[in-house]
Amino acid sequence: MNRRDFIKGAAAAGLALRFGPRATAGPAAAPAPLPVLAAVEGQSPAAITRSAIELLGGMKAFVGRGDKVVIKPNIGWDRTPEMAACTNPEVVRTLVELVLDAGAKKAVVIDNSTNQAKRCYVRSGIQEAVKQAGGDMLFVDAYRVKKMPLRGEWIKEWDILLDVIEADKIINVPIAKVHSFCRLTLGLKNWLGATAGARNQFHQSLDKTVVDLAAFFKPRLTVLDAYRILVRNGPQGGRLSDTEMRNTVVAGTDPVAVDAFGASLFPVEPRELPYLEMARARGLGEYDLGKVRLEKRKI
Amino acid sequence: MASQAVFFGLFVYLFIGAHYTGQDYIGSTVQRFFHFDPLLALVTIVSARLVYAWFAFALVTAVATILFGRIFCGWVCPLGAVNQLSSFLFKKAKFLRPPREDKASLAPKYYILVLVLVGALLGLDLAGYLDPLSFLTRSFALAVLPSLAQALSGLGGILYGLGAAGLARSVSQLLQNWTINTTFIQGFSVGLFFLAAVGLNARRERFWCRYLCPTGALLGLLSRWNLVKLRIDDEACIKCGLCTQHCETQAHPYPNDGWKSGECVYCLNCASRCPTAAIHFPLSARFEKAANVSNVDLSRRKLLLTTIAGLAAAPFFRLTPSRKRASVKLLRPPGSLPEDKFLAKCVKCGQCMRACPTGGLQPVLAEAGPEGIYTPRLVPKIGYCEYYCSLCTQVCPTGAIRKLTIEEKNRVKMGTAWLNKSRCIPHVLGKPCVVCEEHCPVSPKAIKLVEVQTRLPDGTIAAQKAPFIDHELCIGCGICENKCPVADEPAIFVTSVGETRSETNRLLLDISGGSAEDPYK
Repeated sequence: MNRRDFIKGAAAAGLALRFGPRATAGPAAAPAPLPVLAAVEGQSPAAITRSAIELLGGMKAFVGRGDKVVIKPNIGWDRTPEMAACTNPEVVRTLVELVLDAGAKKAVVIDNSTNQAKRCYVRSGIQEAVKQAGGDMLFVDAYRVKKMPLRGEWIKEWDILLDVIEADKIINVPIAKVHSFCRLTLGLKNWLGATAGARNQFHQSLDKTVVDLAAFFKPRLTVLDAYRILVRNGPQGGRLSDTEMRNTVVAGTDPVAVDAFGASLFPVEPRELPYLEMARARGLGEYDLGKVRLEKRKI
Repeated sequence: MASQAVFFGLFVYLFIGAHYTGQDYIGSTVQRFFHFDPLLALVTIVSARLVYAWFAFALVTAVATILFGRIFCGWVCPLGAVNQLSSFLFKKAKFLRPPREDKASLAPKYYILVLVLVGALLGLDLAGYLDPLSFLTRSFALAVLPSLAQALSGLGGILYGLGAAGLARSVSQLLQNWTINTTFIQGFSVGLFFLAAVGLNARRERFWCRYLCPTGALLGLLSRWNLVKLRIDDEACIKCGLCTQHCETQAHPYPNDGWKSGECVYCLNCASRCPTAAIHFPLSARFEKAANVSNVDLSRRKLLLTTIAGLAAAPFFRLTPSRKRASVKLLRPPGSLPEDKFLAKCVKCGQCMRACPTGGLQPVLAEAGPEGIYTPRLVPKIGYCEYYCSLCTQVCPTGAIRKLTIEEKNRVKMGTAWLNKSRCIPHVLGKPCVVCEEHCPVSPKAIKLVEVQTRLPDGTIAAQKAPFIDHELCIGCGICENKCPVADEPAIFVTSVGETRSETNRLLLDISGGSAEDPYK
């Protein structure tokens, strides 16, 4: 590294500190040198994840030294990675590595799965990946669930996984899938997996639930796995033909914008998803991709 | 005894290992013990009229017994070890004071054996209820391990309360890793039977082995010619009677010619108790007199009576409509044989219920007739059948559940889902739901969505997506029933009709497969 590079790097770091993305980025944030949203396309899930985080200013912009970080993928189903029902294990592995490299004390990965928990953890490939990367894989523990005030529009209080909410930083790592009911399940809906209790009642007003939960959990970062997306028979698929390749990872500090970009990959117009409209109205983010600082890259 | 500890340890190890370990195929587990059991082998083969190759191992036990006596009971049997240990503890605690000489009849186990064998001839598999391996596995699977898990989980809660979060977390993660289901419909009663079996050892040492065990009785009959004979050195013997008093199985070492080779389990208590070391077990090819095998009064008349009683009792087991019409809630595990063959082969060990990762496999009480008690059925409300799992088919010791690969298992239909529209939320309340559709694991989904219109009291019409079941795609796994938010009596539920294993419990007679022309058209 020569002097010029050093000065450049220092300036970039300074800017990142000054304009670093916030946990719940509001709509139309002040013009910042770093994008709010980064979408990277490429053949390697690990490389595109790494690159997307880099575009946002690197993991150090989000994770501090000694932090306990919770990474919340979608491990809802007893399906192998090529079925695209759960988050790609390589994406999760890369995030664990980045988080630990950034100085975090702990990287915990947890999800309240729908199918039998151990089967989901093992067969999604995520347990092995997290272990190899040095993270901690945690099963949901009945003693670590607490009814908490959500003060949402529909859900006033609900059972929440303490292991998620008590973390210093939360990173949401959903996978992009079609869903028979709310059309697409992306980042905002992924929070259903951080709740416990009679989750099957959420469906009676799923869009409102999604927004209420998204307003409660404050992820530092959302990293949407759209490497292989589920386009049929959602949300769990079951055949290779239910999936399609997009070779993309979308990372961002604005969770609504991440979902909006994810929707565009199907393609679905973001405004056709009621929960995105509601989320914007509640100030959770912006789904009009023309209004967010977006950086795309192909590697 | 070291040998017992080793075999008991092996038994527990294999027993614990019969669950989702992270591998789709878990290989040999505790069923290997069963394959060495001559009673289970004999009864299963006779009652089902099918030879199951794994039972060839039972010949090892049979030959070993013929040569060396009931060493299986005294050295291998894990329930024998439990009985011996608890007898020992009861004696230590002075709950049990063995009489100088026990005159109680040893005959009951032989009559039980006769009943079991007569039942087998008639196609009844009764061996599992009192066979020691079956009994112990069932007790461990449905009662002992679940209650230990409950206790551990409670301990975890206490640890959290005390602030020892790290330790508490390890406990909870361990329980999840071992996938121990703690809710069994008959866990309590199965546990009571086990406690009773243990408690009876306070009456007599190895009460079960002495008076009840049909496997011990069969081995006793085989041990008539065995080569290892008890010998008392007459010059050393002081006639104290300690050997007879402390004999675990009432084999009566003293006087020497009264020793019952069919009762002796070679625990060697007598030899170690003997103050003058007068007792030895030399090899000897001398035949015992028949009476000396067990010295029980197995009179021809009583044996005949027992046989007749067995023949008379068997029909009572058949006084059930379950053979006439399929039972609505009898969802057998995937790979189960047709019901009559299944009942003839299932030894009620509960191993499939231990292996089931969702806890959906439950012991039957009344759904399969009297001979079906403790056989497995899927109760979707408690746990559904995990689509990519075939563990229950891998652990069955007798082949009552045929071993299936995951691909084979995916093609098996256990039953069919039905919709109770008067409880289904979109149908009756006009509100959104379709949780069942979301969870249906087959692709394309067996639950389709159709739009239904519900007229509400205020005259408006609510249009909602509602489930519609494609009965050709449905495999009856029951996840829809399990996840239905109508908690008490799910609006979608699985019944046994359409199950692959039955030719009569059929839903649609689609012999042509839809390809042949209709001759009446």
